[in-house]
Amino acid sequence: MTHRFIGWPIAAAAVVAALSCQAPPGPAQTDTQSSLPRTPEGGPDLTGIWQAVNTAEWDLQDHVAQKGVPAGPGVVEGNDIPYQPWALAKKQENFKNRLTADPVEAKCFLPGVPRVTYMPYPFQIVQSPKHIAMLYEYSEANRTIYTDGSPHLPGAIDSFWMGDSRGRWEGDTLVVDTIHLSDQTWLDRAGNFHSEALHVVERYSLTGPDHINYEVTLEDPKVFTRPWKMSMPLYRRKEPSVRILEYPCFRFLQEELQPRK
Amino acid sequence: MRKHVLGSTMALAVVWAVWSLASNPAAGQEAARAKPTSFGGCPAETLAFHACAQEKAKTFTPPRTPAGTPDMQGYWRDQLTHGFSVEGVDESEPETRNAVQPWPVGPGMIVDPPDRKIPYQPWAAKIGRKGVNYEKHIDPTSSCRPYSPPRDVQVSPFHQLLQPPGGESVVWLMEEVHSFRVIHTDGRPHVGKDIKLWKGDAVGRWEGNTLVTDVTNFNGYTWLDDLGNFYTDAGHVVDRWTMIDPDTMHYEVTIEDPTVYTRPWKMAWPITRDTAPGLEIIEEACWEGESDLVHFRSQGYTTYFGQTWRSQRGSGR
Repeated sequence: MTHRFIGWPIAAAAVVAALSCQAPPGPAQTDTQSSLPRTPEGGPDLTGIWQAVNTAEWDLQDHVAQKGVPAGPGVVEGNDIPYQPWALAKKQENFKNRLTADPVEAKCFLPGVPRVTYMPYPFQIVQSPKHIAMLYEYSEANRTIYTDGSPHLPGAIDSFWMGDSRGRWEGDTLVVDTIHLSDQTWLDRAGNFHSEALHVVERYSLTGPDHINYEVTLEDPKVFTRPWKMSMPLYRRKEPSVRILEYPCFRFLQEELQPRK
Repeated sequence: MRKHVLGSTMALAVVWAVWSLASNPAAGQEAARAKPTSFGGCPAETLAFHACAQEKAKTFTPPRTPAGTPDMQGYWRDQLTHGFSVEGVDESEPETRNAVQPWPVGPGMIVDPPDRKIPYQPWAAKIGRKGVNYEKHIDPTSSCRPYSPPRDVQVSPFHQLLQPPGGESVVWLMEEVHSFRVIHTDGRPHVGKDIKLWKGDAVGRWEGNTLVTDVTNFNGYTWLDDLGNFYTDAGHVVDRWTMIDPDTMHYEVTIEDPTVYTRPWKMAWPITRDTAPGLEIIEEACWEGESDLVHFRSQGYTTYFGQTWRSQRGSGR
């Protein structure tokens, strides 16, 4: 059993490590209104259960409806994803084969970052001074954002399906820098993809007690011609009974292999 | 890690042996390490620790979170546990001399009843405890399915406890198969009875300095250990975590299931803080690239959906 994904050579991991880990300076999202929930230390408190309410999981870009696919405006800034020519052809190939090739929908693999955020399942943010855990309903995916000033794991290491995430606060915005990602995940069900060189910077800014402005910059010199951005609101789930239940995806595949009696 | 303990079939045993050697090169080092003689000032023996720790808990005052609850945050490791069988395996067990796949000798974790055996009803003892489950089914965790308590706490090499501000929940992060348990401590009730979960639904409360977790709503597809000991969808698990010094917890769990046991029963063990610098939980993806199930199935083992107890416990369940 492969417990940790070890999909490419050391050299590639070194390339990843050599990339800049610093986020580009973004627009200040410092909404300091007093209604924001705050931790005992004074920073914004993101603790709670959140969910994206959009169609990015089906397609990050503008799209019309198909059977089982709700129509929706895209979440990509300018709508175009700046693929290199070979990569655009690959994306189109992925789209054609999506029903059997999507690592999530066809194989139940961990979805990677940032896709896990806008899948149609709730996720819980658990905040402590040095660690912020993000717990997702889909397949018990989770990750810890280290906000203790620690650097990314160094050099030639395995990649992780959910990456290696380090965070810092810029004013009231949580900035999360993620590398060491697998090249086997997609960004949506439409076949948008990346390589193991992907560098993701997420910015979580509370804009009120129940809304987070979520902005993501994706940089991958092997696949894209330049960094690009997506953004969307995340909504706090308000139902008193809400909690993270279970979507153990692979269990359904196992039942297909051996039906329950 | 002990995921692939199956019946004694040669081909499988070879797969298992190769796998476990490859995946756990540190096993030899672990064995060579001197066994501690005490945990938190209490003896390193299950029953003696259990008795001693309950006394120590009465006098220790733990640090507090800003919300005023005991602060148990940090990285923790289980001690005196035996993942193969919660009842332990004695040297007198013939299977410990099985040439193909010897059972590992280890202490039991049960502290009540006094005979330290799971108080199964007779029909259920034939399913758990070297019974039908072990002979016929794939250990649910071998197919990367979620762990239910207390196996989630017990098998993970180590786990991290987080207590977010506000004191409304406590969260365990487990390294094993990237699992987690969110314990709601805000007084909410359990989910409705028709919501049945692999891990169950956990609500908690503080009783003095003890975190008490009440877990119900199981689907009954999980095991307690590699040997196939089990509870059903009627299972009810109550865990109690209490610090007895700054770096040691006393863990006690009561398991109740009137459909398969004659009475509730208890296990206990120490949990000790790991303060190694730079310690982080590393992602343990399991299903991704999984390729062993086909071998298990080819040997005749089947996926466990609780059919053994379902067929014998009677209709309607």
